[in-house]
Amino acid sequence: MAGRGLGRRRGLAALVERVVTWWALGGGLVLLALVAMTVVSVLTNALAGRPFPGDVELTQMGVAVAVFAFLPYAQLKGANVTADIFTMRAPAGAIAIMRFVAALAALGFALLLTWRMALGMQGYRRYAETTTILEIPLWIAFVPILASLVLLMAAALVTVLESRRRTPGA
Amino acid sequence: MSPLVVGFGGLVVLALLIMVRMPIAYAMILTGAGGIVVLNGPTLVLRQLETLAYGQFAVYDLAVVPLFVLMGCLATRAGLSRDLFRAANAWLGRMRGGVAMSTVAACAGFGAVCGSSLATATTMGKVALPELDRLGYSGALATGTVAAGGVLGILIPPSVVLVIYAIIVEANIVTLFKAALLPGLLAVVLFMVAIAVYVRLYPGAGPAGEPVSRAELRRASVRVLPVLAIFGLVIGGIYGGWFNPTPAAAIGVALVLAYGALKGDVRLAETRDALLQTASTTGMIYLILLGAELFKIFMARGGVPQAVAEWMAASTLAPLTVLILVLIVLLLLGCLMDSLSMILLAVPFLWPILVELNGGELVAAADAGFAMSTDELKIWFGILALVVVELGLITPPVGLNVIVISALARKVPMIETFKGTAPFFVAELLRVAILVAFPGVTLWLTRVLA
Repeated sequence: MAGRGLGRRRGLAALVERVVTWWALGGGLVLLALVAMTVVSVLTNALAGRPFPGDVELTQMGVAVAVFAFLPYAQLKGANVTADIFTMRAPAGAIAIMRFVAALAALGFALLLTWRMALGMQGYRRYAETTTILEIPLWIAFVPILASLVLLMAAALVTVLESRRRTPGA
Repeated sequence: MSPLVVGFGGLVVLALLIMVRMPIAYAMILTGAGGIVVLNGPTLVLRQLETLAYGQFAVYDLAVVPLFVLMGCLATRAGLSRDLFRAANAWLGRMRGGVAMSTVAACAGFGAVCGSSLATATTMGKVALPELDRLGYSGALATGTVAAGGVLGILIPPSVVLVIYAIIVEANIVTLFKAALLPGLLAVVLFMVAIAVYVRLYPGAGPAGEPVSRAELRRASVRVLPVLAIFGLVIGGIYGGWFNPTPAAAIGVALVLAYGALKGDVRLAETRDALLQTASTTGMIYLILLGAELFKIFMARGGVPQAVAEWMAASTLAPLTVLILVLIVLLLLGCLMDSLSMILLAVPFLWPILVELNGGELVAAADAGFAMSTDELKIWFGILALVVVELGLITPPVGLNVIVISALARKVPMIETFKGTAPFFVAELLRVAILVAFPGVTLWLTRVLA
């Protein structure tokens, strides 16, 4: 659930949180830019029969970039839904272990995906795949995406450390 | 081990992981990726991970999801809820139980710009609960109404879950949005009837509100016009084929932002909060989508959905019986899990069963098991599934809408709120029965506005 009371972060964790939050806001601005572009495209299309060139492919690329930028924030805010119902009566220690394992899974996933998508980017650079209309090379989108994945690793690491440190009942 | 055994084993592992609080997205990613490794070795998964995530996220039709989420996040801050509630109240408040009915109407109006049940329940709760309390409504009726009214957020288009369903079964999103409207309005009517019956049985629970002057009625009605205009342009534009859902959603974001900015409710701080809330919700949704895709690949390689479909088709149960069983399963699972994960996990299994029972993808309506084309079955089942899955929001044990409303109305014990949702639960069951018995309620608008 969002906003699980994690308390104030300090030191390096606070820095990670700040960077991750700004990064997510950056993703949000990309989304707003897409909104503006789409509205302009609809208007020029209605008035002059001329949509914004490549608006569809820019939306695809932009949304993907924005969503990756959101992932570290979602991890840090504990937004990823769980089904708590089966373990409502479990002791706090057991729940702390579950949270630790879940954070480890996130960390492992971030590591794996960063590694594989870095290779994916190399593939796109080698074979120079581009979008259809504006001919933007696809690998360009992978640059901010890989940065997002590195931040996802950092965010997952923070949640791993916090889940370990949080003693039962605290 | 045969692939099928591995596949069913994977289902068990997934269930266990979810039960020990593994986030549903990661549970699906782990089981999905792990399962493919067991079946085909690691090379395939590693290869797929290079481009799968980008491919999953850079889908044009899915772009409506972050946009509708953002539109909803802005709408909760734009003061729309206040205007909607005042207008509805001016019209309905005088009646016995009328302020509760106004809450339902305002929830429906808010649901028309917001695709999330929780956001609708919280936003309307903040506006309606103090008023219901002031007028002496019983705690159960007041909180029950808001919790149940919140469900309208997802039933009245735009609806995020419906977009996801459309993508899983490859249905037309526009058609689904058309199909959702009448069932949504039916819910509004049935909820109001439920309130009317309730206040007849317990007259003290919902006293009549204060009468309003003609001038006040006019003023409140005029103030709600922009909201109606936004809905008309966004959803009307989609229905009328003026624009695709993604541009429509972008226009919706721009309009709600402009509305909030002009009224002074949405400034820089509110925009920032709306963007961050969008970030955590969208990040969560897309991660689940990625997990569901990996899990779907694993299941398909194990041959599980086909096996289940063949097994069900070989049974001698009537199609309608199977449909009702499927809906009961969805209802029960919806009580335990959030609706989006539920739809993503269950529909890939359930849909092939229904196609099989209907007589395949290309069956003529006259020979079909459900007496409709498979394309129409897709639409009808989507709406039914959405309705029953969302019921979990107001039922024990999880009932997320009830939980968020309890957090708002601390005076009212949660058990009272659950009691208060009971009449609406009955209304919902009645609605499901109507929708199952008369597919035309769902399909009529899609045929007229084809």
